[in-house]
Amino acid sequence: MISRRPPLLLLLPAVLTVLGVLLPLAYLVFRAFGAEASELREIVFRTRNLELAGNTLGLTAAVLACTTAVALPLAFLATRTDFRPRRFLMLLGVLPLAIPGYVGAYALIAASGFGGTIQALTGINWPGPSGFWGALGVLTLFTFPYLFLNLHAALRTQDPSLEEAARLLGRTPWQTFLSVTVPHLRPAWLSGALLTGLHVLGDFSVVSLMRYPTFSAAIYQQYTAAYDRVYSAWLALLLLVLTAAVLLLEARLMRGVSLSRVSPGGARQPTTVRLGWGVIPAWALVLLLTGAALVVPLGTVVYWLTRDFDPAALVDLWEAAQTALGAAAVAAITTTLLAFPLAYIGSRYGQQHRWARLTERAAYLGYATPPLAFALALVFFSLRVTPSLYQTFPLLIAAYTLHFVAEAVGPIRTSLAHATPRLEEAARVLGLSPLQALTRVTLPLIRPGLWVSAAFVFLSVLKELPLTLLLSPTGFDTLARNVWTYTEEAQYAAAAPYALALALSGALLTLLILRRETGKASPQGQQSTPHRLPEASPQQGTPL
Amino acid sequence: MKLVLLATTALLLAGTSLAQSNTSLTIYSGRAKTFVDPVVQQFEKQTGIKVNVRYGTDAQLVAAIREEGARSPADVYWGNSVGALGELAAEGKFSKLGTALTRNVSDDYLPDNRTWLPTTVRFRTLAYNTAKIKPADLPDSVLDLPKMTSLKGRIGWTVSYPSFQDFLAAMISKYGEATTKTWIEGMKALQPKDYKTSNVGMLEAMRAGEIDVALTNHYYIQRVNRLSYPIETYFFKNGDIGNLGNATGAGILKTSKNQRAAVRLLQALVSKDAQTFFLSVNFEYPVIGNILQPTTMLPYADIIKRSPRIDPTVLPKNIEKAQKLLRDAGLL
Repeated sequence: MISRRPPLLLLLPAVLTVLGVLLPLAYLVFRAFGAEASELREIVFRTRNLELAGNTLGLTAAVLACTTAVALPLAFLATRTDFRPRRFLMLLGVLPLAIPGYVGAYALIAASGFGGTIQALTGINWPGPSGFWGALGVLTLFTFPYLFLNLHAALRTQDPSLEEAARLLGRTPWQTFLSVTVPHLRPAWLSGALLTGLHVLGDFSVVSLMRYPTFSAAIYQQYTAAYDRVYSAWLALLLLVLTAAVLLLEARLMRGVSLSRVSPGGARQPTTVRLGWGVIPAWALVLLLTGAALVVPLGTVVYWLTRDFDPAALVDLWEAAQTALGAAAVAAITTTLLAFPLAYIGSRYGQQHRWARLTERAAYLGYATPPLAFALALVFFSLRVTPSLYQTFPLLIAAYTLHFVAEAVGPIRTSLAHATPRLEEAARVLGLSPLQALTRVTLPLIRPGLWVSAAFVFLSVLKELPLTLLLSPTGFDTLARNVWTYTEEAQYAAAAPYALALALSGALLTLLILRRETGKASPQGQQSTPHRLPEASPQQGTPL
Repeated sequence: MKLVLLATTALLLAGTSLAQSNTSLTIYSGRAKTFVDPVVQQFEKQTGIKVNVRYGTDAQLVAAIREEGARSPADVYWGNSVGALGELAAEGKFSKLGTALTRNVSDDYLPDNRTWLPTTVRFRTLAYNTAKIKPADLPDSVLDLPKMTSLKGRIGWTVSYPSFQDFLAAMISKYGEATTKTWIEGMKALQPKDYKTSNVGMLEAMRAGEIDVALTNHYYIQRVNRLSYPIETYFFKNGDIGNLGNATGAGILKTSKNQRAAVRLLQALVSKDAQTFFLSVNFEYPVIGNILQPTTMLPYADIIKRSPRIDPTVLPKNIEKAQKLLRDAGLL
């Protein structure tokens, strides 16, 4: 029998995670209120803040609408129709995730306009994307996989008998889709939408390149262009408030949604819709998406690479790749180590104890905090409280870990669900200590989950920009950082090798994860673990 | 599991020691890597002193040095503008430089109290697309640019760029805040496109036909001239604020524990090699004599006459004012 109280050792990481995120944020508040009263009033009641809030929320809503318009048909095609090849749809729905937004924005900017790829190849001077529409386009193309993965999993595992019942009761297929299928997608949509929303709120790179002012773009601009940091601190606080509001809204919409099957039902595949002539618009969507999200970005990078290739740059590329891969590897290990106890507590004690569920959710705190605000808070905090950590590698790793631990919890949690506690109990009865039972029975069982977690964090750290920009040690050049610096200066050829290296390593990792995740989706495993990427599965969708 | 833990600890320790083991020089550079890296590498080769460079914008690094206070890891600040350098000098952040260092340097931009050393000189100008604009149609003074309603939507500027903010600060010094405010608002009415800090991006956009004129620094136009872009330089009348000259420069932080090595670095920046390099790679005017200039550039003696004389010591305060005006106008 396992004791009902968890070992205190396991609680420590949760406490550290919460403190690690909240302490710097508390210091940010302290800093923000450090200004004089008159200055404070002037800062807080600036009309610019309203405009930024409007832009930020407007863009978030628009991106949600557009990603849904792309992800839902694609997910439907991939799960419920005779569209072939299905495997290609899956790739198309996942691979854009490997391309960071700033690489996508870089590619689309460098592809268009006078002297861009499109003009060089076709002679047409295609207008460059910028402003609201530019930001919307790029964010849609490279974040829709969050929704796609969730909707795909939900559509695939939905109980077909409900739809059959609706059809038997005389509904047309279209009515059935609207009144049965779509409402059942709500939880999946909400958790995917939350990830997309958090991503848009926190993104500064795409909006900066597209010159569309949102809160994150304004924080970055203040950070780089003003001698005074009080306003940056305030913008970060306002963004935190906005993010909290979005989280509360999501939690509210999620409340009372209970659409799970009461009984297991038959493990049957849903009926397949025959497309007929509908195959034409389906292919149109697929080709358009392939072109915009994959062919144009990669084509542009390759074009600029061959146009102005400087072999001397390979030395810098190699160094940047080493730095980036090294940091990503270390962060992947530390994050997985931190995620394990959180997932373990949630999985083993969460059923009976509310505090255990809260502990697990602590992981989402760092993920929901907009990275630029978090980085700024850490800069202030480390200088005043832990100056020896300021601009050091350990602090950067700590920031990555706290920010990405939520991504690592998901897969570990899923594998823990499969490794039944009965085995641990048996090991204990046979005389093993709790630690021995853990290392000799449970850990070997959940090893695949640990690998997926680590791979996920590795990929995320590789792409990460805001934390890296603000917190990295002097001379710490990563692939992401170089793409950003050169793109900001419109040196497209110089940015190309770094962008290509990032996109290729990202694609490779995504494919590996996808293989691993789909490979284990056996028929009996399907119900409990719909194959979806772990970051797209916060428990019941409420991350806090 | 244990192995993983051990490996992590080892890696973290390695990371820490990498970050801390150097007793060498740290430069905070507002200047781009392209201009800094070759000079630094040459310096490392000649002296054996290891140099770390932290790149950023002037404002970001000035703010960092302020935040860091006595704990700043920076030994040398190498900035893009008189404004940023003056800001740090005014706060007493810099050590006074010896005459051995400043002896051969032109005193046009050398501050009287010798707190920092000019490294190159550059000028504000107007770039225009030769296919679209006749120079005769352009105004004599930058102050009249807002009147050019024919250019509505066709003007580029870089609001976050330090040289641009210095230019506004100089306008405040010479004409006062009210005139500057009116100028900003007049310009805003012409819906200029803001390229943030990217002058290169702005001139690329001019080539792409997005804009026809752009407020920029002289050397950006020199650079694209070499690529035969249809872009030329327009100077306003002599002494106009639109032709403002500005220096890049470097100062040694008082908090640095490597003062002597830092002096050697500054010496290297005004050496003939480095000065020739700045001119050849970026067309910036040298601060020492006897360096041959390309014929596409106005001789230094001519161009310095076109620039107004502005007291550099009041610039920092006026930059804060300029930034406030830009924020009030919703531009920053």
